[in-house]
Amino acid sequence: MKSVKIGSGSAFWGDIFEPALEMAQRSDVQYIGFDHLAELTMALLNRMKSKNPEAGYIPDIIPWMKTLLPVTMPKGIKMITDAGGANPIQAAREVVKIAKGLKYKGMKIGVVYGDDILSDLDSIRQNGWIFKNLDTGEEDINRIRKDIIAANAYIGADLITKELRNGADVVITGRASDNALYVGPLMHEFGWDFSDKYIDRVGAAVTVGHIIECSACVTGGMSNMWKVSKRPWEIGFPIAEVFENGDAVITKTPNSGGIVNEWTVKEHLIYEVMDPSNYMMPDGIADFTSLKLKEEGPDRVKVTGMRGKGRPETLKVCIGYRDGFIGEGLAFFPWPDALEKAKWADKWVRERFNRLGVKFDDFRIDYMGVNMLHGEAAPMEDKDYNEVGIRIVGKTKTYDEADAIRREATHLWTMGPVGVSFGVPMSVRPVVALWPTLVPRDAVKIESQLMEV
Amino acid sequence: MEKVLMKEIAFARSGDKGDVCNVGIMAKSKNIYEFLARSLTPEKIKKHYKGMIKGAVEIYPMPNIECIEVVLRQSLGGGATCTLRFDQTGKSMCMAMLRMEMEVDESLVKEARKRDEEIQKKYGS
Repeated sequence: MKSVKIGSGSAFWGDIFEPALEMAQRSDVQYIGFDHLAELTMALLNRMKSKNPEAGYIPDIIPWMKTLLPVTMPKGIKMITDAGGANPIQAAREVVKIAKGLKYKGMKIGVVYGDDILSDLDSIRQNGWIFKNLDTGEEDINRIRKDIIAANAYIGADLITKELRNGADVVITGRASDNALYVGPLMHEFGWDFSDKYIDRVGAAVTVGHIIECSACVTGGMSNMWKVSKRPWEIGFPIAEVFENGDAVITKTPNSGGIVNEWTVKEHLIYEVMDPSNYMMPDGIADFTSLKLKEEGPDRVKVTGMRGKGRPETLKVCIGYRDGFIGEGLAFFPWPDALEKAKWADKWVRERFNRLGVKFDDFRIDYMGVNMLHGEAAPMEDKDYNEVGIRIVGKTKTYDEADAIRREATHLWTMGPVGVSFGVPMSVRPVVALWPTLVPRDAVKIESQLMEV
Repeated sequence: MEKVLMKEIAFARSGDKGDVCNVGIMAKSKNIYEFLARSLTPEKIKKHYKGMIKGAVEIYPMPNIECIEVVLRQSLGGGATCTLRFDQTGKSMCMAMLRMEMEVDESLVKEARKRDEEIQKKYGS
């Protein structure tokens, strides 16, 4: 039976590089997907592009391609990446330059774009569409319209598949769904389409994409198996061998560190999922409640019985809008009476802010080592801690008020209780808030082209 | 019956989608899965997080892999990019879930310990 091997080379901008290179060198994958975009990376990349029209893509693509192409091209491994970010065409031009330098004449680079709907928001609304906030239920974007700085639809695999069919060695996209980077090659290789005939196959591709798209997170990273993961500092990234009948084996780069077992696959199947019987992606809705897992051997898990439910009529959109500033400060108190000192400092900064008249939209103080992570759900133990940190953080409308938070925290360093310890002050950060919403699929005009070296 | 923390009988992992945190719970055995599926309720979970969850709690059983998906709406202080929480993406919320005190049959605790030993033996050497 025909099978296709596809691996994950990156899960975010800043992911480690060696696993992708080692996968290309040591394994027999035919495709590697690279995701570099988090929910709000697009807002950041838009800002880079507004300062320089030739920027706005993930700059890592340049060193990564320089190192990877000499391995992938001779082996015929194809790469699919969303590193195009806010400027996929420029990213592709840069890759053409690199390929020219490496003398890969005839190499083909597909570019997929059109996910950016910032300039279409108003015309889509005029056609009667309402960008309802999926988190809060707020009906439309009137309140935030003037502060919107990014609006990107999570596009699917349609044109990734097309450019692979056109012979692309590398496909570069804008804000494609991470999932589509994996679904695209599978649909292309097996000739699956969006007709009813292939609903379960595409469902399987969506599921496999979900399992491997977060790189290390299914091979022993962020894992309940952390105690038994082998050489985790040499962690290997995941590879899926997908069969024409829609079954798959999840494994990782040969002779790499980390672990793949039924637990690491399970913990990824339940990761960042809402209703597991309706895992909604642009290319299809996958049902995770029918599949079965079976360990086939060390670092090999077979997945069978994956199902799908067709593709949704809408695409998810992330609208990013400016929403004030966050100021933050830290100080640490040593034994004895560390918690008592932190409480003293808590009162001290609150009184200071009252005196200065600083206004917050939101404010909190955490006791680090006591309740910073589990908040109200953490039991507050009455004991003499070795050390307790205080984290003071507030959200404000203006930069200056956020800076006051940072500044008062530094004053605590000299005016706090004896033994107070401190380090580098933190800087104020502008907030880009997220407005998750939907858009009709046909309102997003995605396009693609092929560049040849 | 024995009083244990959920951490004795299950694994968990959590993450975010906007202001929604999801906590996936992996039962250490089939019987434990059935026990958890029977005993966890949205009310119980909301109460357990003591005010951290501002919205609704939803529970989705996954008997095929003996897991339970718990969705906590409006639980991340507005979502990763604007929250004041240090744990912006709710990665530690799963461990807070495992603090839940549960009254379980001794046989389930035994099954869980056996699973822990198996995992250590099978993958740990």
